Amino acid sequence: MQREAAIREPLILGDKSYKDITDDVVGPIQGDAPIGWKIMITISSIIAVYGVGCILYLLGTGIGVWGLNKTVGWAWDITNFVWWVGIGHAGTLISAVLLLFRQKWRMAINRSAEAMTIFAVIMAAIFPGIHMGRIWVSYWVLPLPNQFGSLWVNFNSPLLWDVFAISTYFSVSLVFWYIGLIPDFATIRDRMTKPFAKKVYGLLSFGWSGRAKHWNRFEEVSLVLAGIATPLVFSVHSIVSMDFATSVIPGWHTTIFPPYFVSGAVFSGFAMVQTLLLIMRKGMKLENYIHVKHVEYMNIVIIVTGSIVGVAYLTELFISWYSGVEYESYAFINRFSGPYSWAYWIMMTCNVISPQLFWFKKIRRSLVATFALSIVVNIGMWFERYVIIVTSIHRDYDPSSWGEFHPTNIDIGVFIGTLGIFFTLFLGFARFFPVLALNELKTILKSSGENYKKAQENN
Amino acid sequence: MANTKRYWSGLDELRETEAFKTIQGQEFPEAQSVDEFLTDERLESTHTGRRDFLKFMGFGLTAATLAACETPVVKSIPYTNKPEEVTPGVANHYASTYYDGHDYVNVLVKTREGRPIFIKSNTETGYGRVNARVNASVISLYDSARLDGPQIAGEASDWATVDAAVSNVMQGEGRKVLLTNTVLSPSALRAIAQSGLEHIQYDAIDYGAFRAAAQADFGVNSFPSYRLEEAEAVVTIGADFLGSFADNVIYGERWAAMRKPESGKMSRVHAFETNMSLTGSNADQRTMVKPSEQGRVATALLAMVTGQGTAGQLSEEANKAVAAAAKDLKRAGSKGLVMAGANDLAMQQVVNAINAALGAVGTTVSYDEMTLFQGSSSALKQLTSDMKAGAVEVLIMADCNPAYDAPDAAAFAEALSTMKHTVSTSSVADETASLCKVIAPTHHWLESWGDLQIEADRIDLVQPTISPLHNTRPWGESLVRWSGANQDWYTFVRSTHASDYTSDAMYTNAAWNKAVHNGFVGVDVTPGQAVTFAGVGTSQAISELNGRKGGAVELALYQKTTMGAGQHAANPMLQETPDPLTKVTWDNYVTMAHADVDAMGLNGFIGQEKPASLVKVTVAGSSMELPVFPMPGQAPGTIGIALGYGRGGNGENIGKAAFQTGENGSFETDSDGKPTPVGKNVFPWTAQSGDFTDYAQYDVTVEATGETYPLACTQIQNTFMGRESIVKETDFSSYFAERDAKKGKASWNELITLAVHEDVTGDGEIDAQDGKPTSAFDLWHEHPVEEVGHRWGMTIDLTSCTGCSACVTACHIENNVPVVGKDEVRRHRDMHWMRIDRFFASDYSLERGEEEGTSVIASYRKMEDPSANPQTVHMPMMCQHCNHAPCETVCPVAATTHSNEGLNQMTYNRCIGTRYCANNCPYKVRRFNWFNYPGYKKFANFNPAQDSLMRMVLNPDVTVRSRGVMEKCSMCVQRIQSGKLDAKKAGTPVPDGSVVTACAEACPTHAISFGDLNDKSAGVRAISENNRAYHALEEIGVKPNIFYMTKVRNVEPNQA
Repeated sequence: MQREAAIREPLILGDKSYKDITDDVVGPIQGDAPIGWKIMITISSIIAVYGVGCILYLLGTGIGVWGLNKTVGWAWDITNFVWWVGIGHAGTLISAVLLLFRQKWRMAINRSAEAMTIFAVIMAAIFPGIHMGRIWVSYWVLPLPNQFGSLWVNFNSPLLWDVFAISTYFSVSLVFWYIGLIPDFATIRDRMTKPFAKKVYGLLSFGWSGRAKHWNRFEEVSLVLAGIATPLVFSVHSIVSMDFATSVIPGWHTTIFPPYFVSGAVFSGFAMVQTLLLIMRKGMKLENYIHVKHVEYMNIVIIVTGSIVGVAYLTELFISWYSGVEYESYAFINRFSGPYSWAYWIMMTCNVISPQLFWFKKIRRSLVATFALSIVVNIGMWFERYVIIVTSIHRDYDPSSWGEFHPTNIDIGVFIGTLGIFFTLFLGFARFFPVLALNELKTILKSSGENYKKAQENN
Repeated sequence: MANTKRYWSGLDELRETEAFKTIQGQEFPEAQSVDEFLTDERLESTHTGRRDFLKFMGFGLTAATLAACETPVVKSIPYTNKPEEVTPGVANHYASTYYDGHDYVNVLVKTREGRPIFIKSNTETGYGRVNARVNASVISLYDSARLDGPQIAGEASDWATVDAAVSNVMQGEGRKVLLTNTVLSPSALRAIAQSGLEHIQYDAIDYGAFRAAAQADFGVNSFPSYRLEEAEAVVTIGADFLGSFADNVIYGERWAAMRKPESGKMSRVHAFETNMSLTGSNADQRTMVKPSEQGRVATALLAMVTGQGTAGQLSEEANKAVAAAAKDLKRAGSKGLVMAGANDLAMQQVVNAINAALGAVGTTVSYDEMTLFQGSSSALKQLTSDMKAGAVEVLIMADCNPAYDAPDAAAFAEALSTMKHTVSTSSVADETASLCKVIAPTHHWLESWGDLQIEADRIDLVQPTISPLHNTRPWGESLVRWSGANQDWYTFVRSTHASDYTSDAMYTNAAWNKAVHNGFVGVDVTPGQAVTFAGVGTSQAISELNGRKGGAVELALYQKTTMGAGQHAANPMLQETPDPLTKVTWDNYVTMAHADVDAMGLNGFIGQEKPASLVKVTVAGSSMELPVFPMPGQAPGTIGIALGYGRGGNGENIGKAAFQTGENGSFETDSDGKPTPVGKNVFPWTAQSGDFTDYAQYDVTVEATGETYPLACTQIQNTFMGRESIVKETDFSSYFAERDAKKGKASWNELITLAVHEDVTGDGEIDAQDGKPTSAFDLWHEHPVEEVGHRWGMTIDLTSCTGCSACVTACHIENNVPVVGKDEVRRHRDMHWMRIDRFFASDYSLERGEEEGTSVIASYRKMEDPSANPQTVHMPMMCQHCNHAPCETVCPVAATTHSNEGLNQMTYNRCIGTRYCANNCPYKVRRFNWFNYPGYKKFANFNPAQDSLMRMVLNPDVTVRSRGVMEKCSMCVQRIQSGKLDAKKAGTPVPDGSVVTACAEACPTHAISFGDLNDKSAGVRAISENNRAYHALEEIGVKPNIFYMTKVRNVEPNQA
């Protein structure tokens, strides 16, 4: 059996046995829904329905119900898209990259992080769809053989790359997540007494029997998928960034974008994981599995990626001055001093200054501070995309077309609505799915469990 | 062998049983009645299963549903006999003449399948060039507010009843008056003479003082003809000859003839004006003066040119400007020209004195009996008081709307409504007609025959281009019939010309047909005597002008280039065409200098969500609230307000587009439920001064109200931020010094190079100066367009573009560009394919900031503010048809692609509406269909495509775009295709000039040229190789097919 240095903090606290783990995870699924959950899902589904209503109104009436105009052709729609895709980064990073690097602490968080990824990518995928003027012909972006003559998609267009990148990322993430769920579903199946639930979990678990052969295949598939998913973590947001980087618009046309976007995405993804898990661990009493050490680890990732993002911001500013290009330098001067400078300074404060607070160990290990800062970071990252998109195009080359963007209620409604849908889905996940990778956790119980570690020390 | 084989269907047949024989001839073996069937007891034992029942139900429901869906029936009436000259799909052009009481132009009307859809200038010896108003006027033909027949007391009637009633009162006792705007039709004048009516003329915009001054000084009753094509120095004191002043349709082209730097000579224009006008914005030197000072400018100019009289007191700056103008005038001598806009006898007399002293009379200004503007506002005033006194028995009004545009319209309307016998011939129930007892609606000019005469040596003809849409009748014919004759208008017009003119007369059919074909016929006249200047009243005029006093705030009323005197208020395209200077649509407003705006604490910046401040303007006791537009170039201490707005103030149905609509598309209404008109009517603020109407008020008060009002601007950034690769300009002397420089070498049009890390010059050293032109850089494969087939391109000369916006409306109509209304324009969603960017100069620049030690950030902020009296650039902007188009690479579905003829094509059917192309366009010329403009309720009251009648104006060659697709300038690809087809049929290469885009065709100053850049003999190719030609934003390397020509101003070198 693997042994771990005693000096390392245990990953599972308390006096836990294998059965305790199963009980802790499956217990809430078997029991009745707590009142808090019911309240939360009511609120979030009301918001979700409102959002769907806004989307239907948008689709029925036209893109004009948003505040876009001849100068600013993208604003909240693509901001939300990039923001959600960014959030959808942490899950796969945690489960794939950390798996390859054998980071055991991921086991407590990877399941929910992946669920968050799936839901966030679904939210993200809404926007490229509904932002189209004619969503009913959106399938034209797929390279389908057709009878329209020689019509084919334009492989030069980064939007097309997006289609491939997002759909690949989504399907790989989904498969990866599901593979991980199979043994856990089997555990639930085995403990379910209600016939219907047993049947459903039985179907979901694909006839898992827990044989050594199954475990062997499980491990292999996980590793292969981790290998496939890892480059995707980097490719997706690189390609999303190319939506901007390949354009001619000052402020978009920037070669720094791919790494800058990827680290920004990881940054915001981890922040969202923190937001969700800090609530979930409390609500579902998972404090022993997701504890300060996990939070601290994640906060370290946030410092690193946040600092990369900060460096990227400063590099952009420097290059815009150093390039000597009139339009480029004006674009950045306008960013921090023009009509949307308030958004720029929100972004700077939230993304560059606030994560630096995590250098203080007290803050880094404080759950309250972490929760607050995780929300601040996500606000900041939303504004980052807003700043990049809107401030670049609202004043680009031709001053005669300089304009403004003002969101309408529908802009706001659609965004809030996706938050509602997201939380509805996530709450559903928390209620019906094993929120921890319980079978994986069991593999580290004896090496990193508090009780076993103590027993070792005493030996 | 005979066939003996026999087939039988059963044993019964073989045996020929009785039973078989009875049923043999029956279709069904056994007849059974329905009753029998239903009462058959055996039925009960049969079983219809639940599934069968559901199947039948499902089928029945589906069948019933399908039967209920009726395919929409679109009724169309085919030709029973196809007219010989109409070929579906092929346009016919007819020569005609437009005259609305102000603008007078010979036009060609394009019709498709019998519908007039486009108006352009008749360039072959035609008079004038269409402006935005004339161009867009084709829409008014299809205005659904037009009356569909005569009315008596507001009730529909028929012509026989109307004729009987009116003839009856015309034979009665009492004074019978016909009131019109200036009538230029010889036939109409003949009909008036025959009718025995007393004819009184007035003009919506009064120019009476011009005629009076000509009478006093030269003894001729003629409106002056300004020959700007001869003028080397022009001084205009408030005459906006490029915009709305008098015979503007002809001045632009004439002015442009003297603005060709290549010829080595350019006229210099000095403008002294109150409001920033189109002319002022194109002037080489512009000076701001108050209305009360304009007269003193004239006297000072007279004193400096001739030494005669006392110069008026002016500010030092104005004095300097007058001195400079005088110097130029003296140098030009008889090629100098002074014009004044004020309808003021004293002013015009002083101007006449200057022109006479220069020797300009006969060269740059002549008096050859031009017939425009014979109206007299004093006659109208007299008529009003006579009407009030009951001294007028019958009043017939034709081609005029005095209840709206008379100087004292309220009094006129009141007097009118008390009269017993009033007739209007207006085609809509406008302000005047709705007060009349009888409305005898006249034809639209596109439906009518007619003749017009603006100068003695020509008769212009009007011919119908469509059958009358409604039960209307030309008012001339009405007059003829009311005076007892029974003649239709066509016969009457022809008979006018049967005998009157001796040479090339139109009394033979052949001669008439030729005249109709050409649209005009020349008339032999004996040249008149040269006029001599009497100069009797000059000294009195000088003292009158010098004594003019102004108050704290003076008001100058003006006409907008787009709206004129308000005849076109119901024209949605004109309402949506931005004013060339303020770029505001759908409103009139107070223009005020920035300094005054700041002093009053009003909003200095109008944006999408930054509304204008409302102020209360009080003129001679009457007040109105109007929004304030901060206007660079407005003389401090003055305000300007446009006439021609506030039509339909009492809710008269003059056309839907004349009224404001709210965000949901319904009409805005006031507390009485009357629809709110667009803008405010300021005709009541015109002042009667002596015999003439004065368009200035010398003492008004302006008070802030603290309220705001949204204005819809198409452009909110006023300056070009020092971006000299967009706008290149120079002064004439700099140009002249380097006029022979090779393209790209002159200091005012240097080729942009990019630094490369290689040894370009071959001197063995790599240095930053070794730049390469942008054409050397290629990210993509070059499109093989150079010297292969056609390469359509365009050149736009910024020197001669005046910003008049005729191209904007021409493009709008030609390409079915949607009208989107005020609220959408305010949200920066105007759909114009062709826009005119108006840039004001700023006092500030980065260089100045560096000298003064200002930070770059602060400098950029200051560069956003225009100067108090800025130089202006008008820059038409449309799709640049880049050969390396940024929009093409980013479209995921290849909906926008490059043609092998250099066009950037937009395939609407393929577009999915991601808008990436629009974001990635450096020129921001792409327009997105945010809504279903031809169907959505918000646009129901002004979008032509939503009006069943107005829809007829749509160009059938151009798709009406649906919701969610991108659109933009196509370089009128439909015209290119038809030009190519014509050439193919003729078996020749496409001749240069045979394909012309709508904008190039409409441009009165020929600033826009279009053609095949691969055609070595093409005019456009020669211009594109000129050393003034450049590409806007050349350094980004998108390689446009549109060339701009460096703007050359003829300023004094030390002022450049």
